[in-house]
Amino acid sequence: MKAKSLKILSIGFLISILVAASAFPSGETSPNGIEPGPQEQNVVANGCNCHNLGDGDSNNPNSNVILNLTLPSNFTAGETYTLTLNLSGGPNNDSMNENQGGFFIKVSTGELNVINDNVRKPEGTTYLTHNEAGNNFREWNFSWTAPNSDSVVAKFDVWGNSVNGDANGADGNSGDYWNAQTFSLAGKNAVIVAESHELSTPKKIMYAFSIIAITLSVIVIGNRMVVKEQSFEEVLKDYWKSIYPWLTTTDHKYIGTLYICTGFGFFFIGGILGLLIRWQLFEPRLDGEFLTYEEYNSTFTIHGTTMIFMAAMPIIFGFANYLIPLQIGARDLAFPRLNALSYWLLPTGGLVVYMGYFTGGAGDVGWTGYTPYSSGETATTPGTDFWVAGQIMLGASSTLTAINFMTTMLRMRAPGVTLMRMPLFAWSIFVTVFLLLLSIPVFTIALILLMADRTFGTLYFNGSCVGDLMGTTACSDPILWQHLFWYFGHPEVYIVILPAFGVLSEIISTFSRRPIFGYTSMVYAMATIGIISFVVYGHHMFTTGADPLFRFIVMLTTMLVAIPTGIKIFNWLATMTGGSVVMKTPMVFALGTVITFTIGGITGIILASIPLDIAFHDTYFVVAHFHYVLVGGTIFAFLGGVYYWYPKMTGKMMNEKLGLLHFTLSFIFFNAAFYPMHNVGISGMPRRYATYDASLTELNQFISISAFIFGFAQLLFVYNVIASYKNGEEAGDNPWDGWSLEWATSSPPPHNSFKEIPTLRLAEEEVK
Amino acid sequence: MSLINDLIYFDNPSIWHDFGGTSGGFAGITWQMMIWSIIVGLLVFVWLIYNIIMFKHKDGDPEPKDALKAGVFPHERGNVTIELTWTIAPLILVTWLTYISLAPLDYLWDVPEEDETDLVIEVTAAQWFWTFNYEDDYVKPSNFNACPSNIGCLEIPHGMIIRFNINAQDVLHAFYIVEIGIKQDAVPGLETLAWVDTNDVKPGKYSIYCTEYCGKTHSGMLADLYITEAE
Repeated sequence: MKAKSLKILSIGFLISILVAASAFPSGETSPNGIEPGPQEQNVVANGCNCHNLGDGDSNNPNSNVILNLTLPSNFTAGETYTLTLNLSGGPNNDSMNENQGGFFIKVSTGELNVINDNVRKPEGTTYLTHNEAGNNFREWNFSWTAPNSDSVVAKFDVWGNSVNGDANGADGNSGDYWNAQTFSLAGKNAVIVAESHELSTPKKIMYAFSIIAITLSVIVIGNRMVVKEQSFEEVLKDYWKSIYPWLTTTDHKYIGTLYICTGFGFFFIGGILGLLIRWQLFEPRLDGEFLTYEEYNSTFTIHGTTMIFMAAMPIIFGFANYLIPLQIGARDLAFPRLNALSYWLLPTGGLVVYMGYFTGGAGDVGWTGYTPYSSGETATTPGTDFWVAGQIMLGASSTLTAINFMTTMLRMRAPGVTLMRMPLFAWSIFVTVFLLLLSIPVFTIALILLMADRTFGTLYFNGSCVGDLMGTTACSDPILWQHLFWYFGHPEVYIVILPAFGVLSEIISTFSRRPIFGYTSMVYAMATIGIISFVVYGHHMFTTGADPLFRFIVMLTTMLVAIPTGIKIFNWLATMTGGSVVMKTPMVFALGTVITFTIGGITGIILASIPLDIAFHDTYFVVAHFHYVLVGGTIFAFLGGVYYWYPKMTGKMMNEKLGLLHFTLSFIFFNAAFYPMHNVGISGMPRRYATYDASLTELNQFISISAFIFGFAQLLFVYNVIASYKNGEEAGDNPWDGWSLEWATSSPPPHNSFKEIPTLRLAEEEVK
Repeated sequence: MSLINDLIYFDNPSIWHDFGGTSGGFAGITWQMMIWSIIVGLLVFVWLIYNIIMFKHKDGDPEPKDALKAGVFPHERGNVTIELTWTIAPLILVTWLTYISLAPLDYLWDVPEEDETDLVIEVTAAQWFWTFNYEDDYVKPSNFNACPSNIGCLEIPHGMIIRFNINAQDVLHAFYIVEIGIKQDAVPGLETLAWVDTNDVKPGKYSIYCTEYCGKTHSGMLADLYITEAE
């Protein structure tokens, strides 16, 4: 009997070899089975990575294909069952039963095994798929050995591919369809419970924070009730009394403080998202091991959007709000109520952007929101719609702010404060608001068009073509978004760095105890940067296939930005030479910024060179570059700014020792975290990747650990700000011996900023 | 140790060697960029540290004669010659860097016409996989068997000029081969081009990445590239 079955087997084997030999392997039914490509999750994401170039909806399963897995009614531990998978529906043809279908199956528990020649199990894997012989069938048998416990439910995930077999001809694999289905098989003793809904990691974090916030407020309110023997209503009334002025204020100092606090609040939220990114990249992880790919994508999207629009810009406009009227000797901004509206659009817009987290995943389009991905259906819905809507609000907020500041600075300067006698911080804001007014409306309009694409089905950005009755076709350009975005996006990065230059100029001059070197050339340098910033944006698009002449011109103009930037750096250094340099916390932060910003500037020149940009574009080299200019430039400068102007705003000095410790930890671990990203990028790790090549694990772990220490070091700053507010030394009106008009008023400034409008005098006249 | 090595060496053949694809003439510009970066960086750092050491304020120092005073616009300081020097010197430097950046571009942008190439490959990007098709009349050499299918895997011959016509089906993608230095966006509705002379590339296995963010499985959109000596 054994010999007989062996004979049948060998004949079967021979036949299958003949059949296999006659079916040319050209990717038709994927002769080697549904191989999940480079990674298994690919198949899970696509359902299947073969045959989905057909003329159907290639990325979506087709309900005409019906999968049926024959299972016993329940299973006993350790026993082996023979299962049958059957495929019906979908395309058919009669080409001699060749190339009919394929399948892929994996199971949550137990072990799948091959029992005949139609099925294979690739080495080292746990799934099954058809082999070259198996693609001539639509029914396959295999065995499944139950796990050692029969109190669980086994889940079978099955993908089936219905194939019309004409792949060898001209039609390729068109007309082929696939479908996926999950089957469950309960163990004999399984207790079937309702499926538990596992919370996603960001949601868990959100809930954890909400729980902590609620607990803290209960403790604080309860403590008040007990200690002061007040009723709950009385306590709330007290709080309301202290909150009310903040909600209704139009005073530039209050609004400035609100802006700064909101900005730093979002900075910490964005920082937590950044640390989530670093934890995901601690080692090459599979989909869902820590964050799923979708969660990772929304994490970096919201991280970027938060840091640029809700942290950096609000911090800048907080300082501008507080200081510009003081520096130019005005009592308030020109339009105080408009100013309040600008501010309140910020937390509202921020909330709308974050709303995505409560609706099944925040926007996942990257902070650049490139179309046609962002206008298409595969982007998170409605998270991406919330992202767009929130960004429109933030854009409106910035536009109003720009108008407000422009008017104020042109019309409301005190006697003696001519344009060329404004402090350099005021000048940097003046240039910035011009850039804002010229650039951000473009982005806002692009966002409105994108919203129309997403909501009303217009076709501005998705690259599709529409024909009319006259036979002409009109196509939209998928690159159009990039032109609109970067026309705004490049001035935007100068919008966040120019005020930092202003802060550095103030701090370095004050702490060198002498006037800035080359005031006039500093002003012209900033204005030049502002003008050039509008003609360089194409350097973000070197690899898009744009016109070579266009790319060459923007390479040239981008290189030119180095000149005014260089002038500024050299002027700062020249200011210090021959001065009397006082190394207090604001100054060490400013000098640290000069170092990190110089590194960021140099890598900027490297990226401006087209051949090198082609090697580095969209790799971690770029990530390193813009973190060096945004964190090492803007954030470090404004941390210095907080230490510098905190005495003016609160009347208290900040703790010097804690400040220096904060700087030392921040500076060392900032560089440790971001410098190696250059190396990772040159080695070819693309940005926005949720996982990476295992050879880069060591460097990424080093980066992640440093990033965590850098993140935790910022808690020192929070502690310092809060503790100094309570116990700081009295500051006096002019603790650092600065010259600009804010130092001429009291600390904190009186209700209307100045008791009487001051006059800016001239040093030349003073001497006489 | 290897971590320190990783931090010191920039390990990517496509920017250090004159070979392959879009990287012709790279080594020169990479070295120049590196050297000028170090010179400029050192200039700033050394000057900064010199300032901190030499001009540090000590207790009992006399009040500087042009010390700042609240509410008084300070004396203007400056020196036209010095300021012009550090305007013109960087101008010359960046002009030079722009000029040397052009040489590799002549090679990179000079994509051969289809009749000048030995092999044209149609590259199609879609969420989230690559499909490769040889030109119609190409007969694959008999020893080309590294790829089980034309999805996510491409085998090309050594010693030929190969042109890639790149297309996208749905959203933006980018075709990136680290060691060969090809990076070209794939744009729906627009055919973009890249090319490589495989005479300059060692036979072996390379990885193709997608470097333009394209959605959920962006980081899994990889493909293998085999460069094989045809028999």
